[in-house]
Amino acid sequence: MNLYATIDSILINLYRVTGNPLSDYFVGTFLLALLCVIVGELTISVVFRINKSHLDRLNSRVVKMQELSSEALQRGDEESYRACNKVGNDAFGHLFFNKFGLAAASLWPIFLALAWMQERFIGIGLPLPWIGWEINYVLFYILCYIPARILFGRMKPRLPYFRSVNQMLQAYEKSAAGQK
Amino acid sequence: MKKKNWYGKVGLCVLLFVLAFSLATQLAAIAQDKPTVEQPAEAPQVVGSNLGVSGKLGQALAKAPAGTGPGQIDVNAPKGAFGIPGAPQVSYLLAILWATWVGWIFSTVGAFGGIMAGVGHMTVYGLGNYAKTFSKTAPTLNKTLTDSIRTSNQFLVGLSALISTINYLKAKRLAWPLGIALALGSIAGAVFIPILTGGKISFRQYQGWFGVFVFTVGGVLLYELTPKGQEGKKAAKAAAQAFEKSVKEKKDLVSDGITLKKFGITKSTFTFFGTDFNFNPVWAFVGGLVIAAISSFIGVGGGFLYVPYLTSIVGAPMYVVAGTSAMAVLVSMVTSIAGYITVAKAGMDWGLIGIELVGIFVGSMIGPRTQKYIPDKWLKIIFVILAFYVGLRYFSAGFFGQSWVP
Repeated sequence: MNLYATIDSILINLYRVTGNPLSDYFVGTFLLALLCVIVGELTISVVFRINKSHLDRLNSRVVKMQELSSEALQRGDEESYRACNKVGNDAFGHLFFNKFGLAAASLWPIFLALAWMQERFIGIGLPLPWIGWEINYVLFYILCYIPARILFGRMKPRLPYFRSVNQMLQAYEKSAAGQK
Repeated sequence: MKKKNWYGKVGLCVLLFVLAFSLATQLAAIAQDKPTVEQPAEAPQVVGSNLGVSGKLGQALAKAPAGTGPGQIDVNAPKGAFGIPGAPQVSYLLAILWATWVGWIFSTVGAFGGIMAGVGHMTVYGLGNYAKTFSKTAPTLNKTLTDSIRTSNQFLVGLSALISTINYLKAKRLAWPLGIALALGSIAGAVFIPILTGGKISFRQYQGWFGVFVFTVGGVLLYELTPKGQEGKKAAKAAAQAFEKSVKEKKDLVSDGITLKKFGITKSTFTFFGTDFNFNPVWAFVGGLVIAAISSFIGVGGGFLYVPYLTSIVGAPMYVVAGTSAMAVLVSMVTSIAGYITVAKAGMDWGLIGIELVGIFVGSMIGPRTQKYIPDKWLKIIFVILAFYVGLRYFSAGFFGQSWVP
């Protein structure tokens, strides 16, 4: 059995919970989305642990320039304001593209899940009552992913490993936003 | 605040205008371009069914000639990229390795990673050459595949905006009045391009314009290496350092955020740290429209254009530029991708994008660790050479039908 067949045989079990096709499509897609959120969070925690010092360094440069630019603005020192903005832009550019690694770490499972759903559910549309439109697997997955992400966000502070990851990410987000 | 360096703004305006004008000229030509009907001596048998591929790609497949030669669909061949039988089978190992290189560039050089992601889709994975084979035999398939390639490019380079925007939103660091004007323009640009060009751009045209874009990025990198480019940066750094020394006592700089003081169609004012910032919502809208149109057409994020636009032309403070530009990138990316998928019905190879994202985060972890061994200047020189090589190759192959470099 190849890798795809193995993964397929595992994932399809998520769609066999209730025995009713429609309910199983709802439950299965939500569980798949939740699985993707968890795998994404695990990956981002690894990337974050490895790259934290580098990201902190980039962040502190950006925050410093933001503070100086704001200070110059308050003092009405236009020349310094422009200089700080220019240096700050360079630092922000570096940080922006480095954050792409974090985004990729968090989001890669979504696309593999969509690839699997494409094989399994392509052509299946979920009809919307009264309107006559159909929701395809991509839109339905996204609609399930958002509540799954919110739910996991609420659960994170209570889960053993993710509790520390959550604290680390919150501290980082605060420093990245220039909050004291 | 008064803006002294008007020449920089005028230069950027001219650059944007030239890009917009070239794009508009090209789009007008496309809009007037009547599809030429080839009259083959003997009509080949067409595939006749979508072969399980959904959307416009499936419809285009059904009309493509069946057969085993170039420009034909071998219905018995194993499925390749985008689920098309006989299409290049992208090796996932190759995709991860190439994406690792893309991630490495993102974390060391920056925007050039987006270009290399495009090079991967077009050249390394062989999707561009495959699309080209249909230019005469099945032009609709050629154009639909081009849409799929540019949407894949945009997915990879625009995703970074998603997480950044959420963070800035939480920190209340989005200049809403400015952001909304810019975002409305972005939506207009990102809607307009897929509607106007979706299914109408041949791979060769796209390749040529991608080449022009790579040249532009190469030109910016080259300028940064010149004494004049270095001088500007050094002067800004020195001035920032001098100011830092002069700030003896740092005050608590926590601000209340941005307050909208006045809103008008041609003049709006927001207050930040007690200072009024005036901006023209019409210009913000036009800027968003032009930048999103260029980004959507080429298949890039656009952050590299929004940031200088907001700081140089609008004169917005750094504190709000970061979040506002990330939001504009996100809005235009989501609109453009949704446009390509829903209006132009571009097919997506989700598995390939997922695998590429794995490579990108691996590369972005390696980048910071290896960067210290390569001086920044040498990195830029390497990428300037690479930009001119890739730009020339795509430009010549796209607009002249033959690559001028090997």
